[in-house]
Amino acid sequence: VISEYAESLARRLGFDPGLARSVRQEVEDHLWEAAGDASPEAQRRAIERFGDPRLIATQIAAVALARQARSLGLLLMLVLGGLFLAMKMRIAWFASAQFHVRDDLLALGQVLLSIDRAAFWIAIACGAASVVLARSRRAQARLFFPFCAAAAIAIVASVVCDGVLTALRLVDRAYAADLLLPVLSVLLEIVFAAFLVGRIYAAARRAALAAYLRTNT
Amino acid sequence: MEGEMLKGHLDMIVLAALASGPAHGYAVIEEIRRRSGEAFNLPEGTVYPALHRLEGAGLLSSRWTTAESGRKRRVYALTKRGHSALADQRATWRQFSVAIAGLLGGKTAA
Repeated sequence: VISEYAESLARRLGFDPGLARSVRQEVEDHLWEAAGDASPEAQRRAIERFGDPRLIATQIAAVALARQARSLGLLLMLVLGGLFLAMKMRIAWFASAQFHVRDDLLALGQVLLSIDRAAFWIAIACGAASVVLARSRRAQARLFFPFCAAAAIAIVASVVCDGVLTALRLVDRAYAADLLLPVLSVLLEIVFAAFLVGRIYAAARRAALAAYLRTNT
Repeated sequence: MEGEMLKGHLDMIVLAALASGPAHGYAVIEEIRRRSGEAFNLPEGTVYPALHRLEGAGLLSSRWTTAESGRKRRVYALTKRGHSALADQRATWRQFSVAIAGLLGGKTAA
């Protein structure tokens, strides 16, 4: 009886297998201790005192999803900080190494730079909104992921612009070791952006699955 | 006691129950019952979301141990921040209860 109850609770937390497993162990330990002896009647009484598994799972899921949102908001701001540093480092290096954009590519470079700046500011604004939403309880579910997604799209746009702008400065240059730093900094930005997009996607999937399990189990 | 009234103070109640030392979920419930003179009789499961929430807020820490029965057991303990939060909540509660007592008793709170 206790195993069935713990299993039904864990099933509702299936959006996060690690959480489901630990809650199941915790609840089983509680119920066996509360039941005292192993008689089915004692087990039933322990389960009755424990409460509705749907309600408890909903509350535990809300706590886990809120924690997930807070850490995702923090990750978003860290990635933005990392991108900013990589960008500034590359620009300083270009200036010191006298790597300029060719005259015939200047117009394209200016357009890309404008898009890059706008995208980065949009990412900062949406990232900051995500952090605030992650800490508020009511609006979080509806608005948190749209803002995260908007920040991620803006970051991807900014990284693409950075990549093209770097390529414009490196065009016609022969391969040399001094090209490594700008290339590596762009690769670093791509890794940051890909990691962030992956984490947002995984978190959104978990939140959607949690909502599904809440209404369908 | 009314469940809704308790829910609003559940975090403080759980912190207070853990003030005497680390305990697992069932022991927390027993401690709440014992120290409230059986007045607080929540559905036992409701304590777990509170434990998880308080752990997420950094007020509790937890570790897994093995009980005498051989079952895995999660034991919670107050962190430094948890002790500090409990002290703050105690002070606020004392002020509040004096004010309410004065109000309901028809006397001005000191």
